[in-house]
Amino acid sequence: MIDRKIIDDIGILTVENPPQNYLLEPEFIPVSELKGWIEGNQLKALIITGSGRHFSGGAKLESVFAMTESAETMETRMNKGKALLGYLQDLNIPVAAAIKGICFGGGLEIALSCHIRICSENALFAFPEANQGLMPGLGGTFQLGIRNSLKDSLKMILGGDMINAEEAILLKIVDTLVKDEEPLTYALNFLRKITEGRPLKIINYVMQSLRNARELTSEESMREETRMFCDLARIESVRRKNESRESE
Amino acid sequence: MKQELRTLSFNLVSGIGHLELNQLPANKMNAQFFSDLKELVDSLKGLKGLEAIVISSTGRHFSSGADLEELLELSMNSGMEHTDKKGLKDRNIFETNYNSFLFFEGAEIPVIAAIRGVCIGSAFEFALSCHFRFCGEDAVFGLPETTFNLMPGLGGIRKTAALCGKAKAIELVLKGNTFGASEALLNHLVDRIVPRRNVVDFSFTFARKIMKNYKKQKAPLYLQQISSDDLIFN
Repeated sequence: MIDRKIIDDIGILTVENPPQNYLLEPEFIPVSELKGWIEGNQLKALIITGSGRHFSGGAKLESVFAMTESAETMETRMNKGKALLGYLQDLNIPVAAAIKGICFGGGLEIALSCHIRICSENALFAFPEANQGLMPGLGGTFQLGIRNSLKDSLKMILGGDMINAEEAILLKIVDTLVKDEEPLTYALNFLRKITEGRPLKIINYVMQSLRNARELTSEESMREETRMFCDLARIESVRRKNESRESE
Repeated sequence: MKQELRTLSFNLVSGIGHLELNQLPANKMNAQFFSDLKELVDSLKGLKGLEAIVISSTGRHFSSGADLEELLELSMNSGMEHTDKKGLKDRNIFETNYNSFLFFEGAEIPVIAAIRGVCIGSAFEFALSCHFRFCGEDAVFGLPETTFNLMPGLGGIRKTAALCGKAKAIELVLKGNTFGASEALLNHLVDRIVPRRNVVDFSFTFARKIMKNYKKQKAPLYLQQISSDDLIFN
């Protein structure tokens, strides 16, 4: 259901359940499995995309209602999904969502957990949950709320309105709108360009600094940045010394 | 109050303190600069009559940033994990540097960077510690540290993410490319482009306009008070 591929140290996860690429489980790929794959292959970046015409329509309604048969398991399963999205958001390599077609509900929540969102002109975004007597269950309310006014967030979450790519740019749901190119191709080239020749450690430190900026005070975040900087500088000094010794 | 240090000068006139980087040709931020900056910051803390700060530079460029060779040399025996005497001393140098930047970032009075020419690496991080950035059309920005196998270490990552969003910050920092004034404006990394020769004058005009009852939290609102009159230069 999730296809995995690696191109130039960049991992690509593709939701394979066409046509709408419905998610069968909130934890659409087990965290431990994903972690093992990313770390084992020393991946420098990750892309999440959908197979065929769409990103993902989220969870299928029937499967959500089927889950309610056991309230306890449902909560556990939802929390596992949240933990997976939390893992993606805190990952110390860049994570990009390459989006075309529909990106609804849980699909949109996956996209909002990525660091970078790239979409095509035909992309459509929505939280249709309220139309079915539900609400976004994997952090979508929060993710939209931190980016927008209450008015805009409510319009989308309570109104259940569908928006297009240009509106998504305005609501800070999307970073880049790609024309004349597949979002996946664009995402791959973009990530290749920014990670090529960069040691994994630097990528990890930069991503860690971004996370610190969100979680720590200015002082704490500065102190951490200096610690990481000094560590890199020491490694680089040693490398240069060895290099000049070798050339002698 | 007037101070002339080896790499910078500071002059307080009518409430506005003018900090000028003054180490030609490109105002490199070496250990001497950071030591001078600390000395200045210590003297500014609690200084009466200081109502705004404008930071600019002599010469063609704002600053080309840190002295890489010197930094690498210093870092050899430094780092927070080292506990030996030498290590602790050097660690304090880095801590001093970021504390100086944090002083400007946290100041309750407006701090304005007036940028002409090159402003890269730590120099850009210094400008990002200011509350407002005005630049000439010739300004060049960038955080090229990762291209030297390093990373921005003085708040650059945090500040760019806050101004232009996470996706753009990742791109700027990992690519490490330089970019011009209009791209900086587009990404909210500068607040206004003015003719190069008027950048400092404009910064003073703006400082005078907003320094009474300045509230740092409202910084973006002050930019809306810029009127067309402020942009008429003699």
